[in-house]
Amino acid sequence: MSAKQRVDAQPAFLLHSRPYSETSLVLDVFSRDYGRVALLARGARRPRSALRGVLIGFQGLELGWFGGGEVKTLARAEWQGGQPLLAGRGLLLGYYLNELLVRLLPREDGHPLLFDAYASALAALAGGAGDAPELRRFEQILLREIGYGLSLAHDAEGAAVDGQLRYRYLVERGPIPVRGDEGMPSLSGKTLLDMAADDYRDPCTQAESKGLMRQLLAHYLNGKPLQSRRVFMELQEF
Amino acid sequence: MVEALRCLPGVGPKSAQRMAYHLLQHDRHGAKRLAAALSGALEVLHHCSRCNNFTEQEICERCLSSRRDPSQLCVIEMPVDLNSMELTHAYNGLYYVLMGRLSPLDGVGPRELAFERLLQRAGDGLVKEVILATNYTNEGEATAHYLSEMLRARGIRVSRIARGVPVGGELEFTDAATVAQALIERRDY
Ligand SMILES: [Zn+2]
Repeated sequence: MSAKQRVDAQPAFLLHSRPYSETSLVLDVFSRDYGRVALLARGARRPRSALRGVLIGFQGLELGWFGGGEVKTLARAEWQGGQPLLAGRGLLLGYYLNELLVRLLPREDGHPLLFDAYASALAALAGGAGDAPELRRFEQILLREIGYGLSLAHDAEGAAVDGQLRYRYLVERGPIPVRGDEGMPSLSGKTLLDMAADDYRDPCTQAESKGLMRQLLAHYLNGKPLQSRRVFMELQEF
Repeated sequence: MVEALRCLPGVGPKSAQRMAYHLLQHDRHGAKRLAAALSGALEVLHHCSRCNNFTEQEICERCLSSRRDPSQLCVIEMPVDLNSMELTHAYNGLYYVLMGRLSPLDGVGPRELAFERLLQRAGDGLVKEVILATNYTNEGEATAHYLSEMLRARGIRVSRIARGVPVGGELEFTDAATVAQALIERRDY
């Protein structure tokens, strides 16, 4: 797990940070090849620290670190930029992505595919419009990368999903067709097929896929609600 | 005692132990003064019912001052930010101290920050403009964004302090993120 590392120029994003001692920070970063890593950023909270304008969440960074323990030492940090800072609602959705990673992704396990999906989800959030497909794609890749990939094209019995039928999605088994109205939440076969084909143009697909992902994520989060979601909901109440 | 000292920000187990030994072995008088100051402050200090800053009164002196302009209300994150604003000598309105900022991953939302109190304060009928001076961090930005929506929905004019290259700052020595954002937010000149 925590073998001695010396890493340089590693693409990464800052997920979260907390103060450590008088002047430092412990960072939770998501790097492309090493996954989530805890880094001690010495002196990052000093008033004139050069790290202040660099260690910004949702912005592409290039980090170097060394060390062997659970917490490595940040050696170098460079801001890569290339996209505007997140703003408004996009920021809250960004926090949602970060919380998913912090809660679900084990430390020091590289997931380059997931990293790229995270980067493009952030780019979509920074761009403003049409973020739903990027979020769903990210959630799907996240589950697949941690070993809980969805079954979308085939039902739990192995039969091809029928776009005309309605289904109930059983966690870790897959969709099963719903005969008649059983009073349980269900979704259309078309939504499953759209998700398999990565096609989120249909508003019904957008709504149903969102519901499905929420149900599955709640399961893998052990029913413990996401703080960022709670804050987001409370903000809508004003 | 070591455990109690650790509640201070940035104080780890080692510094807490150092402080405790110092107070108990070398400075018992100082320890007594600290204890008295702490319990005194806890008894008399509370939040000003108008600006939310710490005060010994129900309403602090600044909020009661007739020399301050009640039509402007500047929202800041922490009491230290108030000092920075006052040092400018460029602002004569009133303040509201949030005592934090939205921090979704730490579970700090509108309830924890009592947004409702700020909205009531800004809706007193005298405030014409709310100036959002939360930090230019992601958390400060999220806070400013949601406050601006809530205040505008209540018919209150909202502005945000500008950001960019520091005065006297040369591009060469300004961090890339600041220059990039200054470029994105450039204005006609
Ligand atoms: Zn006051």
